[in-house]
Amino acid sequence: MAELYRHCYSPAVLSATSDSMDAVVREYRKGIDRTLIQRNLTLSVEERFRQLMQLQRFAEELRRAGRAAERK
Amino acid sequence: MIDFEAVLRGLAGERVRFIVIGGAAATAHGSARLTQDLDVVYERSPTNIASLVRALEPFAPYLRGAPPGLPFRFDVETVKHGLNFTLTTMAGDLDVLGEIVGGGGYDALSPHSQRLELFGVECLVLGLDKLIDVKRAAGRPKDLEAIAELEEIRDLRPSG
Repeated sequence: MAELYRHCYSPAVLSATSDSMDAVVREYRKGIDRTLIQRNLTLSVEERFRQLMQLQRFAEELRRAGRAAERK
Repeated sequence: MIDFEAVLRGLAGERVRFIVIGGAAATAHGSARLTQDLDVVYERSPTNIASLVRALEPFAPYLRGAPPGLPFRFDVETVKHGLNFTLTTMAGDLDVLGEIVGGGGYDALSPHSQRLELFGVECLVLGLDKLIDVKRAAGRPKDLEAIAELEEIRDLRPSG
């Protein structure tokens, strides 16, 4: 077991994990809609939260509509 | 869905020392992602635990996902003997955490937090750089897309 832990936490393994995480993050960054972020950055923090709560209500309504449609 | 305003006002009303982290902190920094709950790290002193319990009492906190009828009470003893609680409340889903992976507890995180005014109350929100660090440290696959967006925000924001 000690050997296994030594292997799992070796600098080489940690570095490989970090490298693969970086690679995935880099790929995700290519697909991000920067216009949404830029618009959010023009809002105050409170406006960002109010927008999130509106989005949450909309998501909840979509879920309700989905459940209603499944029952039909 | 969570009523951020009600919970933040409740916590501030009892002078609870806490830091907003997770998706809500990401929203504060400009994230466009939908988050459903509120995650906070609370300070573990006896006084603050008592304040936390008082603040959440009106929201009837209960363990999220636990079967109804389980003898759970969110009281001072429960919080003292536990650390991290994933709760469902009348105001929505709320995670109250004593410590987080890669960030530690309140004292370790507060120097990396910003004081923001939200819904008329002042609260600490984990800073963008530290938020990225703790999400990286947690290393959860579901966080990778969020990390990508936060790094993009860091590059796009005026001070970035």
